[in-house]
Amino acid sequence: MSEERRQEPQERGFDLRRMLVNAGGALVFPLVAILLSFVIGAVIVMATGNNPITVYAALIGGAFGSASSIGRTLLYTTPFIFTGLAVAVAFRAGLFNIGGEGQLYIGAITAAWLGVSLGFLGPFAIPITLVACLITSFLWGSIPGILKVRFGAHEVITTIMLNYVGINLAYYLAQHLLRQRGPIPGTETIDYAVRIPIISTALGRVNYGIIIALLAAVAVLLLLWRTRRGFEIRAVGLSPGAANYAGMKLGVNTILALAIGGSLAGLGGGVEILGVYGNMDVPFVSNLGYNGIGVALLGRNHPVGVVLGALVFGGLFSGAQEMQFATDVPLQLANVLLAVILLLVTATKLVELIVGKRARDFVSGTHLERGGL
Amino acid sequence: MAEERAERGSAGVEGAPVVLEMRGVTKRFGPVTANDDVSLVLHRGEILGLLGENGAGKSTLMKILYGLYSPDSGEIFVDGERVEIRDPKDAVERGIGMVHQHFTLIPRLTVAENIVLGAEPRKGITLDLEGAIKATEELSERYGLKVDPRARVADLSVGVQQRVEILKTLYREARILVLDEPTAVLTPQETEDLFSVLKELVADGLSIIFITHKLGELLGVGDRIIIIRDGHVVDTVDASKTNEGELARLMVGREVLLRVEKEESKASGETRLAAEELVVLSNTGAKAVSGVSLSVRAGEILGVAGVDGNGQTELAEALAGTRPVAGGRVYLDGEDVTSLGADARQERGLAYVPEDRASKGLVLDFHLYENNTLKTYDGPPYSRWGWIFPRIMRRRAAKTLRDYDVRPPDPDARAGSLSGGNQQKAVLARELSGDPGVIIASQPTRGVDVGAIEFIHRQLLEQRSEGKAILLISLELEEIRSLSDRIIVLYAGRVVGEVGPDATDEQLGLLMAGRE
Repeated sequence: MSEERRQEPQERGFDLRRMLVNAGGALVFPLVAILLSFVIGAVIVMATGNNPITVYAALIGGAFGSASSIGRTLLYTTPFIFTGLAVAVAFRAGLFNIGGEGQLYIGAITAAWLGVSLGFLGPFAIPITLVACLITSFLWGSIPGILKVRFGAHEVITTIMLNYVGINLAYYLAQHLLRQRGPIPGTETIDYAVRIPIISTALGRVNYGIIIALLAAVAVLLLLWRTRRGFEIRAVGLSPGAANYAGMKLGVNTILALAIGGSLAGLGGGVEILGVYGNMDVPFVSNLGYNGIGVALLGRNHPVGVVLGALVFGGLFSGAQEMQFATDVPLQLANVLLAVILLLVTATKLVELIVGKRARDFVSGTHLERGGL
Repeated sequence: MAEERAERGSAGVEGAPVVLEMRGVTKRFGPVTANDDVSLVLHRGEILGLLGENGAGKSTLMKILYGLYSPDSGEIFVDGERVEIRDPKDAVERGIGMVHQHFTLIPRLTVAENIVLGAEPRKGITLDLEGAIKATEELSERYGLKVDPRARVADLSVGVQQRVEILKTLYREARILVLDEPTAVLTPQETEDLFSVLKELVADGLSIIFITHKLGELLGVGDRIIIIRDGHVVDTVDASKTNEGELARLMVGREVLLRVEKEESKASGETRLAAEELVVLSNTGAKAVSGVSLSVRAGEILGVAGVDGNGQTELAEALAGTRPVAGGRVYLDGEDVTSLGADARQERGLAYVPEDRASKGLVLDFHLYENNTLKTYDGPPYSRWGWIFPRIMRRRAAKTLRDYDVRPPDPDARAGSLSGGNQQKAVLARELSGDPGVIIASQPTRGVDVGAIEFIHRQLLEQRSEGKAILLISLELEEIRSLSDRIIVLYAGRVVGEVGPDATDEQLGLLMAGRE
């Protein structure tokens, strides 16, 4: 025992250094991709007859230049953290969850319903509603897992298809069973007592949902690396053969990984309803779920990376608004930049040319090159 | 200038012209140098042995020759002419043919179709099937390689399939034949057949490079043997003037105990692992094991011999509980465990070293400490109330890794970054450190270097003298014979015979070929 204790301080320092080296390595790829995409973006900007420096100054200033722009960036970042985590958890089990969009809608309609019907509880309705969002979208997220385990249906196909089902189910409920009185299609507006409060008026509309998102990222971090379930999910994802040989249940872990992913996206939907929109209009905000795929990709399927990736996405969407005011460059440039970033992040061979082969092995974390889709 | 070198190089073997020279070939993968300034010369009509441990750089060198890798530096000369080999097509054009360890045949096609595939004779725009059959017959006649051109490859034995592979290269007019570990899948008789075929081929003017890590094999067939260690050529020896001991020393770099000393069996008579009329299906749904009964007593090693693919894998998995059984029963210490899963059997003291460490034994992208707890992560001290404790995992792993001489003994190293031998030691460390009562070891030394083999054999014998019951499944007859107390032979999913460890090659070979 005494021998074990003596080793510890040394071990701890070693851990920290290893962690920093790993983190540094993991950041190389996305950073190079982001820088390169800005260079490519600059060419596009010049082609539209603008000065790239003023455009980028407006973009970055619009994202992080003032308290209110930071607030707006965080507001946009919040749902991307949830949907990015939804993809990342499933990916750790070797599964592609493309169903974030539908899962988010299921969570959102749950919140839109309970936020109104539990309105008499006041602020106490908030946690109850959010837990309900977790549950409904967990069940929803388990559907593709069950289909895969029982019938061998590929989760990419089923999650994509379930997006349509989920979105339209939510719209159906919003337009019929939960429809508000009045001409605008959508659910009734939730009372302000049942809304997630904003953090500070100086930061604009950003609410404590961002804190819930960060807590969700920490929860995923702990789940994956500090729990039995996470150990199994990661083992199943990296080597189903070895996991099976070790006696782990592949089916249970497959269903759980997709369901947990679904519940995270659904929680994101609930937070959007209770924190930002207050009801579900038809049409409701779109692409939050799909962008989660890009966020997870950029964040290399690591919860910390997902938070940073979501910040990049949120920052670009937020800054693009400012950029549109200040210059002639349209909002869509932000989308172009994001697309180029993602292309470069996935083009591991290209970045390998730039930062060297060793760096690639060093930072490889997504295993995209092994295929699997 | 090339001519000049060719002259010098030919000094070794009876003045035959040099057909291939590789000079100063260096290949690095990141920080690892797989080939460091490697040179070799191959003469017309020669069988050149390329001997080295797994990971020594043999395969890398041959992949460079076949255009699958490009070297960082070095030159290749074919018939004295300097050549650039960018891809396998270039290699084929230069008359280089390669027979891979894993065959590249299409099972559903016939022999003739497989042979001409990619270079088919045509009649107008249609395939000239008759021409293909004729060409196959001609080749088969000319080189004495008997095959039926109309037979479907799926119906052929492994030895004949290998013959088809060789014919495939000859059809493409190969003059230099590279065989990668060709005997790994053959019975002793099939190996003999292969050697006589190779001798005929070189008599016909072909040149052969024969890659292997089995020591004895080249003594009978090779002319010269090049020994590679850590990417360097350490020596070239004359096959007729060397012996296994010398080759082992050159290959490993130190004296190696080739045959382990075995104490008298202390088998106590009490049966620990037993199977009754076991029936197991393969992945394709075919019966891989049909009615196998066996029993292993405490303190003995039961060897399971047989040619690859005769139900060994399925048998081991069914006994270990990772594959469901279609019939029969499995008993562990007298308890019927047929319906229990792998984890429950493991809790009852069953250890299983799977044959495929890369896809079953280890999660290659996990750290060693995670792999070390792959089966025990879900109980104390590693886990409580659903949480796991990596720090404890790491500390225990550090000790186990040192005990089993895993290099590096770093619990944070990725399993995939270790050499094959060390990966296998890591699996062994995990399986044996839990003090199991029954051990199923499926090809525990496959693809492992000589030094590690020695270590693994000693560990198994130590477990035996501690009274463990061990089922050893192996394709290496030598291993089975030197470790086992009793040997059963599997053929087509059945036990075709049981013999003692003093059985001859002929006896075992006949059983392995299904002749009882």
